[in-house]
Amino acid sequence: MAHQVSAQAETSPRVTVEELTATKRRLQPLLPDMDPCDLDLILTSLLRPFGSGRRFFLREVRPGVRVF
Amino acid sequence: MSASSDEAFVLEVLAALEQTGLEALVVGSVAAVLQGSPVTTQDLELLVRDTPANRQKIEMLGHCLGARPREVSSLTNVLRIDAASAPVDLLFDCLPGELSFESLRSRSVAIDLAGRTATVASLEDVILSKEASGRPKDHAQLPILRDTLRVKKALAK
Repeated sequence: MAHQVSAQAETSPRVTVEELTATKRRLQPLLPDMDPCDLDLILTSLLRPFGSGRRFFLREVRPGVRVF
Repeated sequence: MSASSDEAFVLEVLAALEQTGLEALVVGSVAAVLQGSPVTTQDLELLVRDTPANRQKIEMLGHCLGARPREVSSLTNVLRIDAASAPVDLLFDCLPGELSFESLRSRSVAIDLAGRTATVASLEDVILSKEASGRPKDHAQLPILRDTLRVKKALAK
């Protein structure tokens, strides 16, 4: 049986810059070896609710050229 | 908030799975995306059990998504549905790393996406399957997937 997780419940539907900054500040001491830019990128993605306009499929428009 | 065409496509596939009654686990990079990983991909991978009934349901799934399932290669057992937004790949029974459908399902997460439920392989299992795949493009994603898992665990503390 799958564990129930709500993508919307993990965070509020709208994540503010302040919330993101506060979360980053809280986690940085727990992950001292992680690149701060990587942490920022992951948190931005992790806290972004489904349905907020994220693109993740790459399409090949011609050989070697891929776009969102 | 307005959904992107990629998010809308995931919902379209979930609706088609529900309509056909095909039990499928979302695996691969889309499973990682749905769990917050900042990665991109070219296709949506589904793991199903290889049964005659499911083969029929896959035909119906293709009908729902507007394309007939086709073999990707004679060397693999993968079927592909060339949907308008992205290819949907159907994998059968197990993933690299000897990860069976049953074991993956037992550790899967049910994610609520705009009122539809996606059954998604856990991020730990996505990482295991990519480690075992031996494909450079999978290995290239591993550092950011492992870091995402670390961040999720830190968030849970």
